[in-house]
This record gives sequence, structure tokens and C-alpha cells, in this order.
Amino acid sequence: MIRFIEGIGERAIGAFASLYEAIKFTVLCMVHMLRPASYNPAMRMVLTKQIYFTAVGIIPLFIMMAVLFGSVIIGVVIALAAEYNLQDKIGAIIVTFSIDEFAPLFTALLISLRSGTAINTEIAVMKVNKELNTLERYNIDLIDYLFIPRIISGIISITSLSILFAIIMLCSGYIFTLFYMNMDLTSYKALLFNAIEVGDILTLLFKSMAFGFVTMMIPIYSGLNTGSAYTAIPISVLNGMVKLFIAIFFIEVLSLLLQSL
Amino acid sequence: MAENIALIKEVHEGMSIKAAEGLACEYLEKIGMGSIALKRISACQSVEIFYVMLIRALMMPQEQICILAPFLLIKHLSGLDELLANIALLNDKKDIIILDTYSNELHYKGCECHIVK
Repeated sequence: MIRFIEGIGERAIGAFASLYEAIKFTVLCMVHMLRPASYNPAMRMVLTKQIYFTAVGIIPLFIMMAVLFGSVIIGVVIALAAEYNLQDKIGAIIVTFSIDEFAPLFTALLISLRSGTAINTEIAVMKVNKELNTLERYNIDLIDYLFIPRIISGIISITSLSILFAIIMLCSGYIFTLFYMNMDLTSYKALLFNAIEVGDILTLLFKSMAFGFVTMMIPIYSGLNTGSAYTAIPISVLNGMVKLFIAIFFIEVLSLLLQSL
Repeated sequence: MAENIALIKEVHEGMSIKAAEGLACEYLEKIGMGSIALKRISACQSVEIFYVMLIRALMMPQEQICILAPFLLIKHLSGLDELLANIALLNDKKDIIILDTYSNELHYKGCECHIVK
């Protein structure tokens, strides 16, 4: 019995210790993000490359996915709204669903799968190959040179791609309102402009920024905690991705709670 | 590799990427290795990687550089003459010492090196 209680205590202490370390690392990264000295030419070059790889390189695939998924989902929502005689609320439904919820969540999931895994693997490989040690030996701050550019690129990429996704979804929404409700473009535009509020835009921005932050921060932290063997790399990526998806859904639920207040 | 070397000056001195890479190329040219400037580490030989590490160390603010067991770092290194000549070409102010084990003592016959066990 005592062993059982000791086991629970040990696990609880371990969990709190790792949570404390994670929070400490997050705060440290945020402090570095605010320091002008962190933005040296090498860091700016890495940041540019990261934005290119994360946001620009994905654009053709992203637009295709946004048109396919966005159209189908907004189509289903509009069809349901028409079926339940919610035509008078259709503007608010489209805006809330596209801008507040679906665009940032879908973008975060897509970027997590594409860039989150890549960054987790990259940092884990660097750790195993002792490249991180080499950089430290040359007094190169890992947070400034490796982590901050990735975190900032995550924030910028997810925010900008979420806006793009929302625009594509709203355009798709017009096609479906045209077919289901015979609505012309002028009426559709008026409907959206009447429904959209500053709160919706702020929700999109803050949620995307939060998603961008965790989408990069968790894989980086997971990669940093990789063991010294090559076999530890897939385990690190697996753990990182599970934690990342939990964090994304936590943010989603938190934002729903905050909006309902 | 020029990008790799340039990183030191970019981070520690805030030097622009163009200037830092230019300086890195200058160093590589001095020892006749300008051709590796655009190569990745996987495409370089051990001797080329060694000189890149040395140039990076020369760019650091520390006054002393310690080379540990060059015969292990560089594959097929027959003698020290070429290595010492290249170090002399690259270095003008830093104190460079070579540390090695007694098993490699023969390689150092006639050279002024600090050999430690």
C-alpha cells in the first residue's frame, strides 16, 4: 500500500517537475522574443527561411485543401441551416463557423502535421548528433538562433494561412447560398458585413497566434528532450505530436468557453 | 560551408550575412579550399570539415585554440607539415596548441607541439 502511494507521489512530482520545466522554457522563449538583441542577421535569415518553408511552400496544397474541405463543410452547414429554417441567421452561422472556429483549427492541424513533425524531428536529430552541443560550444544561443525563428514563423504562418482559409470558405459559402437560397452576391456581401464583428476578427487572430505558438513550441521542446540514441527520435516525435494535439484541442475548448462568457 | 562559418560573425558581431560569408570565403581561399564554400557538410571530406571547424574557432573571441588529436579528426593525414602550414596561413594572432596521445608521438617528430597523454 505504501509503495502504491509512493508510486503515485513519485509520478505526481515527476509530472509537476516536467510541467515546471516546460513553463520555464516557454517563459524563457517569450522573454527572448521580446529582446531586440535576439534579432541578429543569422536569426533573421533563419526566420525568413522558416516563413518560406512553413507558409509559402504550402500555399498551393493549402488552397486546394481549403477549397475541398472548406466548400464541403460550409456547404453542409448552409444546407442544414436552410433545412431548419435558419435563413435569417445564416450570416452569423457562416461567420462564426468559418472565421471563429474552422479556419484556425484546420490550419493549425495542417501545419502541425506538416511543419510540427518536421521541426520535432529536426531538433531531435540535432540533439542526437550533438549539433546542439556544437552550437553551444560556439556560444550560439539556441533559443535565439533555432527556436525563436521557428516560433515566430509558426505564429505568422498560421495567422496568415487562417485568414486565407477563412476567405476561401466565405467565397465557397457564396456558391452554396446561391444554390440553396438563390442569394445574389450583393445580398451575400451585405449579409456577411452585417454579421461580422470585431470580436470575430480578434478571435481569429488570437486563436491563430496561440495555435502558431504551441504548434512550434511543443515540437521544439519535445525534440530537445530526446534521448541520445537514434531510436529515441520516433518516440520523441510521437510524444510531441500527442501533446501538440492535446494542446490544440485545449485552446479550441478554452476559446469556446471564453466566447460563451 | 561558408554559411556555416559565417554564422559565428553574424551571431557574435552582428555582421551582415553578405559580409560574413565574404570573410568566410576569404579564409577558405587562403588555404585553397574556396570550392567547398557552397558545399554541404555531407559532401565534404574530413580534412575540409576540420578546416571549417578551425576557421570557426579562429573567428571566436577566445585567445587560445586547442586542437585535440588531429590524426583522429582527419582521415588519412600522413604528416603535420601541410596542416601546420595551413594553420600559419589562417592564423595571425591566436595561440594554437595541439594535444594528442603518446600513441601518435611518431607523427610529431621534429615538430614543436605539446603532446599530452
